[in-house]
Amino acid sequence: MPLMKETETTFLTLINQHKAIIHKVSKMYMNDVELQRDLFQEIVMQLWKAYPSFKGNSKFSTWMYRVALNTALVYFKKDNRKVDKTPLDENIDIVDINESELKEEKLAYLYKAVQELNAVEKALIFLFLENQSHREIAENLGITEVNARVKLNRTKEKLQFIIKKNGYEF
Amino acid sequence: MAMNFDDLKNDWNAESSSEPNVSADMLKIKQARTPVDIIRRKMKHEFTYQIVALILMAAFPYLFGFSPHMKLIFLAFFAITCGFTAHYFFKFYRFYKNSCDMTMDSRKSILWFFYEMKLNIELYKALTYIIAFIWVGFISVYLLIEKTGAINKVLAKLSPSYILLNCFITIVIIGVITELWAWYYYGRYLKRVKTIVDELDFE
Repeated sequence: MPLMKETETTFLTLINQHKAIIHKVSKMYMNDVELQRDLFQEIVMQLWKAYPSFKGNSKFSTWMYRVALNTALVYFKKDNRKVDKTPLDENIDIVDINESELKEEKLAYLYKAVQELNAVEKALIFLFLENQSHREIAENLGITEVNARVKLNRTKEKLQFIIKKNGYEF
Repeated sequence: MAMNFDDLKNDWNAESSSEPNVSADMLKIKQARTPVDIIRRKMKHEFTYQIVALILMAAFPYLFGFSPHMKLIFLAFFAITCGFTAHYFFKFYRFYKNSCDMTMDSRKSILWFFYEMKLNIELYKALTYIIAFIWVGFISVYLLIEKTGAINKVLAKLSPSYILLNCFITIVIIGVITELWAWYYYGRYLKRVKTIVDELDFE
């Protein structure tokens, strides 16, 4: 039992160091806050179930990307809320907001636009934003590097179009 | 205000999580919601229904006052049904215990989900067909043995082609109900997973 407790503590420490990854995946795949929380829990649970297979050959975060994305890709809880396609704030006054608010605003636009992508496109954009190379994206998704490059370029164009359509300059 | 992917990347990586930490309690909750988990849960429920159905079925000879001769025939059909049910539910049980390796690449992981689900849905359909035909067979035997007079009268009035047509329609109805039920109960999850496989394979 002490060994189990120790494993649990190590796991929780690692998870809490990288919890931002799970939050980002949840926000990308679910529009509704309640559902984001459910997906977050589901990912944590799948990570915990898979933890015995983590041998430390790769970085914990690399291993986490796979489990988190694989869970989000097949997560079956329907987000029935329609994607809100109206601009977040049509009257953004740049002078009135500071830099950190501006960053938050941009990310809010990004998360909103991402809701219009399909599950695989979300995975591509997520891995791209996490600074993964084409080769790493291909390895994580199990597709060829060429295919990863083509798909990512198409997805970026699509995302750019959605962001512009939602009232942001790109 | 302009935005580009480099900016987005920087902002994304600078974003910190202000959410509360993951607690040990969160590791204990659970009803997993992946399609395979949903199908497993449904199969578990079906196992319960099937057991209840078999127990109720065992009372049929007494409820319908079967003759000793008919009771023996019923017992044979009942034993065959129990045998098939046990065989298929043992396979479902193995599926239930077999957990997916979520650390594989997405394509492998999703294909695993897809083929496991497909295989088990096909097994489920096979079991439904087998049981349906066993009991159509039993009802036919029952009518021919216990209600010989009435059946002979009916058969005498009907042409062989009409009887054949009715048999054919019965088979089609069983087929349609089985396929629709399997689709409603399990197939839609399979479709969702298939969509992701297709999206990954699309070049």
